[in-house]
Amino acid sequence: MTLALVVLLPFLGAIVAPLFAQAGRTAIAIASSLPPIVALAALYPHWSTLAAGGVLVQTHEWLPAIGLSLSFRLDGLSLLFALLILVIGVLIILYARYYLKKHENVGKFYSLLLLFMGSMLGIVLSSNLLLMLIFWELTSVVSFLLISFWNYKQDARRGARMALAVTGGGGLALLAGVLLLGQIVGSYELDDVLAAADTIKASSLYPVALTLVLLGAFTKSAQFPFHFWLPHAMQAPTPVSAYLHSATMVKAGIFLMARLYPALAGTELWFYMVSFTGMATLLIGAYTALFKHDLKGLLAHSTVSHLGLITLLFGMGTKLAAIAAVFHVINHATFKASLFMAAGIIDHETGTRDMRRINGLWQFMPHTATLAMVAAASMAGVPLLNGFLSKEMFFAESLNLNLPGIWAYLPPVVATLAGVFAVAYSARFIHDVFFNGKPVDLPIYPPHEPPRYMKIPVEILVFACVMVGVFPTFAIGPLLYAAAEATLAGPVPEYHLTIVHGFNLPLLMSFLAFFLGLLMYTQRQRFFDFHARFREIDEKAVFEAAVSRVVEWARRFIEVLENGSLQRYVLLLLLATLAVTIVPITSLGFNVGSLGISPIDLPTTVGSLILIGCALGAAAMHRERLYALILLSVVGLMVALTFARFSAPDLAMTQLSVEVVTIVLLMLALYYLPSWTPREASLFRRWRDAIIALVAGSGMFLITLAMLTRPLDSISRYFLENSVEGGGGSNVVNVILVDFRGFDTLGEITVLAIAALGIYAMLRETKLTAPPTDGQGHPWSTDAHPTILKQISRPLLPLALMVSAFIFLRGHNMPGGGFIAGLITAVAIILQYIASGMTWSHQRMPFNLQTPVALGLFIATATGLASFAFGYPFLTSTFSHIHWPVVGDFELASAMAFDIGVYLTVVGATLMILASLGRLTNQSEVKPGAY
Amino acid sequence: MLTSAHMMALTPVILVCATAVTVMLGIAWRRQHAATALVSILGLNLALVSLYLVYSAGDVSTPLLVFDRLSMLGMVLVLASTLACLTMSHAYLEGYPGRKEEFYLLMLCAAAGGMVLVASQHLATLFFGLELLSMPLYGMLAYTYRDKRSLESGIKYLVLSAAATAFLLFGMALLYSQSGRLDIAGLLAGLESSGGGAWALAGAGLMLVGLGFKLSIVPFHLWTPDVYQGGPGPAATFLATASKAAVFIVLLRIVMVAPAFHVEWLHTVLGGLALLTMIVGNLLALIQTNLKRLLGYSSIAHFGYLLVALVVADGLAVETAGIYLITYLMTTLGAFGVVTLLSSPYSGEDASALHHYRGLFWRRPYLAAVLTVCLLSLAGIPFTAGFIGKFYIVALGVEAGRWWLVGGIIAGSVIGLYYYLRVMVTLYLVEPGMRGRDAPDNWGMKAGGVVVLGLALLVIAFGVYPTPVIDWMSVLTSPVH
Repeated sequence: MTLALVVLLPFLGAIVAPLFAQAGRTAIAIASSLPPIVALAALYPHWSTLAAGGVLVQTHEWLPAIGLSLSFRLDGLSLLFALLILVIGVLIILYARYYLKKHENVGKFYSLLLLFMGSMLGIVLSSNLLLMLIFWELTSVVSFLLISFWNYKQDARRGARMALAVTGGGGLALLAGVLLLGQIVGSYELDDVLAAADTIKASSLYPVALTLVLLGAFTKSAQFPFHFWLPHAMQAPTPVSAYLHSATMVKAGIFLMARLYPALAGTELWFYMVSFTGMATLLIGAYTALFKHDLKGLLAHSTVSHLGLITLLFGMGTKLAAIAAVFHVINHATFKASLFMAAGIIDHETGTRDMRRINGLWQFMPHTATLAMVAAASMAGVPLLNGFLSKEMFFAESLNLNLPGIWAYLPPVVATLAGVFAVAYSARFIHDVFFNGKPVDLPIYPPHEPPRYMKIPVEILVFACVMVGVFPTFAIGPLLYAAAEATLAGPVPEYHLTIVHGFNLPLLMSFLAFFLGLLMYTQRQRFFDFHARFREIDEKAVFEAAVSRVVEWARRFIEVLENGSLQRYVLLLLLATLAVTIVPITSLGFNVGSLGISPIDLPTTVGSLILIGCALGAAAMHRERLYALILLSVVGLMVALTFARFSAPDLAMTQLSVEVVTIVLLMLALYYLPSWTPREASLFRRWRDAIIALVAGSGMFLITLAMLTRPLDSISRYFLENSVEGGGGSNVVNVILVDFRGFDTLGEITVLAIAALGIYAMLRETKLTAPPTDGQGHPWSTDAHPTILKQISRPLLPLALMVSAFIFLRGHNMPGGGFIAGLITAVAIILQYIASGMTWSHQRMPFNLQTPVALGLFIATATGLASFAFGYPFLTSTFSHIHWPVVGDFELASAMAFDIGVYLTVVGATLMILASLGRLTNQSEVKPGAY
Repeated sequence: MLTSAHMMALTPVILVCATAVTVMLGIAWRRQHAATALVSILGLNLALVSLYLVYSAGDVSTPLLVFDRLSMLGMVLVLASTLACLTMSHAYLEGYPGRKEEFYLLMLCAAAGGMVLVASQHLATLFFGLELLSMPLYGMLAYTYRDKRSLESGIKYLVLSAAATAFLLFGMALLYSQSGRLDIAGLLAGLESSGGGAWALAGAGLMLVGLGFKLSIVPFHLWTPDVYQGGPGPAATFLATASKAAVFIVLLRIVMVAPAFHVEWLHTVLGGLALLTMIVGNLLALIQTNLKRLLGYSSIAHFGYLLVALVVADGLAVETAGIYLITYLMTTLGAFGVVTLLSSPYSGEDASALHHYRGLFWRRPYLAAVLTVCLLSLAGIPFTAGFIGKFYIVALGVEAGRWWLVGGIIAGSVIGLYYYLRVMVTLYLVEPGMRGRDAPDNWGMKAGGVVVLGLALLVIAFGVYPTPVIDWMSVLTSPVH
């Protein structure tokens, strides 16, 4: 429980601390420092266990389904990192109290700082890789928020975004890597993973997993070529730079390598990937640091270089190198954090960080200068300071690498060279800032010592540097041993923490680096000139340029593809579809099935020619809607005739009556549209579209041909065979409607009725303004109802009613039926509307339109229910034949009653829909009194 | 024969349809905005409750529809998304000067379509459901037709969707011509016996085009950003959530049972489309300055990730797809919800340009917080639902060894992180003198505000403790149908 609590404490603090923001900076600093102090106290009792080589693992179940558990682990390595995080954290909290100005949002700052502390503790204390990953991503996010703390600065926002994009992306790679490890091992618990080292290394997935994990580690720890984000993260307030970007967060990648060292290290692949990355980072960081005029920039690049050094040590793969790496983590954290704080003090007191301006500060702030000089000396690797010890170990290890042939010289040479640069930039830090003449044009003059308490954190850290440097065994020995034991997960080889190991090659390398470094510094102007010959690479600019290039591509892509033009979208959709189906369709070819092609006769040919011609005409004349509509109606007519030609008179009749109603509906809509549309498409476009249409049509033709020439077996045979004996009618369509699928029909007429009611209701209050003139500007005819039409239409009504009655009655056996009869009646009545106007027709209508709908539905339902009375299921039909005096033998089916219901509903609904639309037209007519 | 078990299983769909009819007749009788919304919400809730009863009654299968666990999942997703959309519509339409009530009618019809779609195991119901889902959407998108963009988006969706539907139908016809069957299982069995060949492939490809269009998979995605931007907020939300979820589930069902879809060729096509979708979606989102468009592209990218489940298509894939869909829906509903709440059709175009959101935090801290949570979740940051979803998808890809897709997910997510962040940073910018679009003052009181707040909490809750949902999902998908 303790470990979970240790991680939880800072999170609690992050919630509580902002409450103290009103009480002033001191109050909130005290409140914020409580969680880490309590956490330190909570960790203390475990020290004895750990010193004896014990490991503390506490597991709580969280999400067993995905293998994620709240399990925490305390061993030497995690203790070392936890101590760094907590102790430096407390110091940073104290420092930030004086660094932040009164008006700044201290509540947010401390809250984020504690949030970060908790996440970072989470990383180092997790014993479950997934849990670690979660905290890993959290640190990236919090780091983003902290870098952009001064979010009014554009540079800060950009730097923050870049940092998050790089580290967050690395985190995702790590996610994949961790999942892969879990896949290999079968568990995400660290104990299992470390125990399965051999399985992992033997697995065929090892290279992938290793690459992904290392990608995560390298991005987080700013290794080449991902190092560029770190210098730009320096836009953060200095306490953040000191804490996140030198002491802790950038060490997370290092920590990950140390944590998984037993599981992943020791292979050739590991060696080459890690050590060469480390080497490149070490050199590039050290070289660049020398030429930075910004104080924090110098420190940032130096941090990159030192992180490369640690990585290189891990990459070497020997146990002693790993120990040296862990040791250097401690040393770097102490001296670099103190240097950052010193830089922050200088910035705070002078108002600038440009080393060309801040000179000779020794006279103004000797105390700070002393502290900074000791820390910088440690960075340079001066004896009696901690930096020297680990650097010596590093030099020694670089000599022990057994690379073949001439390559054996590479590591020591690189190490020495980096050492030279390190000495040179450290010397520059000391000499340029504190000596080297007088300050130039300082924004704040004269500078003086910072508040007393602001220096305390620096003093403590510098004291630690000296203590470790002089009494290494006493100051750090047991902790380092415990950490080394945990890192290696096995026996620790003998190593000695002494100040000098005697005069040997590593010491010589140190001296050489020292001497050459100072020489380089004295000749710095030449190097600066040399460096100035190359174009300065601003990584942020490169990154931003890369982003904007991508953006530019995307923009061009969008301009070409997604310009908002519907025509283009349709074109692209067609092309994309073609691309998906091109393979199967081309392999299909000209495929005629087993039925062969039926013979061509004259009527069919003429009919289809008319059909094709009218369809083409409708497409060609679509801008003149009336003509297009007329041609379209011819198409409909031809389709009806085609049905008739292929012996489906019932279908033909249905099609015909539906066609009439549809055209009337379209005509009503036409009224509101301009009668003519200008031609807008260019010639090229029309040809292009025609070609596309031709291609699509040919494909359709091929497939239709292939399909129609195959034998087809469908349910229609069943209906054809059973319609007489089962439904008592030979008109299959009608029998299907009222008998076989009677239930469906009942549902359908209900839908029709509801739809009609809905349209009626919705259009009831709609008001449309009709155009006063037609498209060419001619006013509408005032003679709304031509006399001839009026006179002809009137006798037509009874005639049509008779026809529909006839069609209705014969419907069960011959083409016809309630549905068609209903449509015919509706058309006849609509004709009255058209010819004589709404008012006239309504006055003569003995009922309103809702009545037939309701009645029809009632009759249909009642017919269905009636079969219950005879003990049959719903809608069972029966039929018998009776002899009528005039008509002759007549078949009376119970379905007939049902058909009446259909008839009534169709009449009512159709009329209601058309009349509602027509009423709109009427109401908006220019002269309401015209009829 | 229609038995009572069948009726029972159909209850949720019937309830939604009945609600739609009630609403329609109610409108005919008397227009009352609040009452209409209330009736709709009541009906949907009843349907949700009845869904629980149906679920406990066990699987029911009819020739056309199947009520198994996958359909239950789909129906829950559709109903819940519709509920959220409806609630937001109420807030959105409150200030609309025109007719408000028909919007609910359309949405209820579309929801019914979605429910039929997820339960369909027959091409007829599949088509019917899809059309019933899409048709009302045309109306919904063009609902605020006085705004040119809304009208344009409606027409664009109508035309393109009709084209896609034609392909879908054609694909169905081809499959039918090979197998002589229309029920999905029989169809596939028929294909296997007849060998399928070019016809089946062409059919499957064309169906993929039709369904891929609805899911806005690259290169059939062109309509998405325009339509999202132009359509009224609730309609775009519905399109991005309920509609996509329903279509995805039916695609999942087809792919899971269909040997025609288990040809390597199609898997390669699907994998390629997935990769293309995630990369293109994310890249194009990068340059958007309009939040609705940005969310549109981001939804494209997310369906690219989801396609990975289809490519892998094994037992775990269904579970993964379910979890990812849930996280996606929660998050997208929340994000679109905020946009909707900030917009009102009364004051012209929706508030969707990024600069409307500058410094939102200082004016509407809760709304900004909700949006931040949703964006974090979309980016897949730990402790949000999105992380769980992303975790499952990456795990699935890793397990199946689809390295290209895993790489695509990672690359896409990195780009995603970048543009989500841009929006988040905008929310917290302090710039004096800026006065952006505001939600109505008492937004928190309104149902819509409560819904987005609840969604944000849900996103976090699911991110922290997803076990119940994961358990539910593994129960739902354990016997693969």
